[in-house]
Amino acid sequence: MIESDARPSGALALRLRDIAGRLSAMPIAYAATAFFLVCAAILRPNLLQPFLLMLILRQAAPLGIAVIGQSICIRLLSLDLSFGGVAMMASYLLTSGVLPYSEPVLIGLSVLLGLLVGATNAYFIAVRRASSVIVTLAMVLILGGIATALSQFRAPGDAPEMLRYIGQTRIGIVPVAVLVWIGVLVPMALFLRYSVFGRYVDAIGSNPNAAWTSGIPYVKVIFVAHILSSLFAVFSAFMLVGFVGFGSLSIGSDLALNSLAAVILGGVTFGSGKGGVLGPAVAAFMLMFVFNLLTSFGLGEPGKQMAQGAIIALAAIAYSARSTRI
Amino acid sequence: MIALPLRRFGRSGLGIVSIGLPIVIFITLSFRAENFLTATNIANVNSQITALLIVALGQLFVALIGGIDISVGSVISLCSALIVTVDPAFAVPVVLVTAVIVGLINGTGVAIFKVHPLIMTLGTMTFFQGMSLLLLSGAGGAVPPALIAMSKSTVGWLPVSFFWSVGALVAAGVLLNKTPFGLRIYAIGSSEQSAAFSGIRVTASRIGCYVICSLCGAIAAIYLTGRIATGDPTMGRPFSLDSVTAIALGGVLLSGGVGGVTAAALGTITLGLMTNGMNILGVSPFFREAVTGVLLLLAVSLQKRKVIGI
Repeated sequence: MIESDARPSGALALRLRDIAGRLSAMPIAYAATAFFLVCAAILRPNLLQPFLLMLILRQAAPLGIAVIGQSICIRLLSLDLSFGGVAMMASYLLTSGVLPYSEPVLIGLSVLLGLLVGATNAYFIAVRRASSVIVTLAMVLILGGIATALSQFRAPGDAPEMLRYIGQTRIGIVPVAVLVWIGVLVPMALFLRYSVFGRYVDAIGSNPNAAWTSGIPYVKVIFVAHILSSLFAVFSAFMLVGFVGFGSLSIGSDLALNSLAAVILGGVTFGSGKGGVLGPAVAAFMLMFVFNLLTSFGLGEPGKQMAQGAIIALAAIAYSARSTRI
Repeated sequence: MIALPLRRFGRSGLGIVSIGLPIVIFITLSFRAENFLTATNIANVNSQITALLIVALGQLFVALIGGIDISVGSVISLCSALIVTVDPAFAVPVVLVTAVIVGLINGTGVAIFKVHPLIMTLGTMTFFQGMSLLLLSGAGGAVPPALIAMSKSTVGWLPVSFFWSVGALVAAGVLLNKTPFGLRIYAIGSSEQSAAFSGIRVTASRIGCYVICSLCGAIAAIYLTGRIATGDPTMGRPFSLDSVTAIALGGVLLSGGVGGVTAAALGTITLGLMTNGMNILGVSPFFREAVTGVLLLLAVSLQKRKVIGI
């Protein structure tokens, strides 16, 4: 080996390794989205028309909003699987006509529901120290059971006018729902990056015990996170109800699983405190795009479920394998 | 002075609540519901809880090592769909092999790749639920007559479900209390690190627990499919959370190391009696689901953990 030769090539190798490291640290969702877009370009070019892409973006908007809350929970080593129950209950409140109030009041009541569910989840998780998965799944049983039992007496009706506007109107080619999504995403990203709350989330996520010992208000942070998460679930239900145009008990049933998949694919990992808001948002779009692609290949609901399950398990394994190696 | 009984009860998970609750419910129901204390209803309760008992025993093995398996419900659904789709002669072996494979997948993800058990089994739960719907789109199909006979007949005046329950209890009890494997499970559940330092092959034992849990799901599926005499690709849906609720009610600690066959059985009986009671008292099945949710919340919040998080 000649020394003068080794130095520049060593520096180059270092730089290459640095680039490779950064690339491999990027959320799986980016590469996967590119991969599926290329797949579609070859196999189903029709899917790439701007009009259809906008439709898929609109489909992804409710998921994208739910994902913001889920990603905060997951960074805090918690998990919120109660989205389905919250969405069902909100849909019942909004469309059953059982409460004789005006639209804004009904919307306000749904927001209140979100606050209540989030606070209850947080109480059991932070104060009683119960497992977040069990708590939020129990919440689905409770909310779903009540909503289903009540719906037997009254069929769901039409969605409030205001929500149908958000769900169905477009400005130019861009659906209003997508604008709302961006309108929520950007402030949340800034909030998580620059606020004290955001720093707390980072600290608790990277080491809950250290954060606890150093006096970071763990209980309060969990409360805020879970209340935000349930509120986002309610907003997401607003969009879904407006999108469909009438109430339904199956609204938002796969919101929780999809949001979990999107968060994992978007590069937010359990307990690392790492992860932005953009990765999960891209992953939300990617999931909807993949489901549309699968549908175009004639795969029905079972195929979709298998894809969801495989994505969650494989992405979790991939991240674990990567983090244990380093 | 008090240390001695505490220590004796310590590992079993039994406590005043887990022993007292089923007794209180039993007495209340005997007074409040007329049809409760009839031989037919008691036999009914037994047949209803047999499947849950088998699944809860499987869940117990996973809980003892500090894990959780919420894919067991999908295993039941998948096995039920398989029983009516494959050649009747191979139904049972196919189902058992499938369960072992699912258990190996879960165990590998959790024990080797260190994925959190909830995430891992949530993934497999969704995957295998989809797969069972792919095999069988709705309830239907012909169940081999031998399986129906195995689940529905009576021996003397005892329903055969009684023997399924006793068989499952004895098998789980022997495996936990009389074999080195059982001892290892308790050791791992108490402290994985100490267990590893003492030369226990932790990874293999943990994978074993997930395989046992899936196998219990398959056995429950054989029993249930025979009992309702038709395949059902969504049959197992309630079992994942019900089995967790049952063992938590019985006092099994979900963080590992504490619990036993008696605790799992008592928790299952508690849950079974409550369901049956609400059934007799005419409560809507959907409200019953909500009540199960509340019970689950109460049961887990009674066990305050040291760990923060999932």
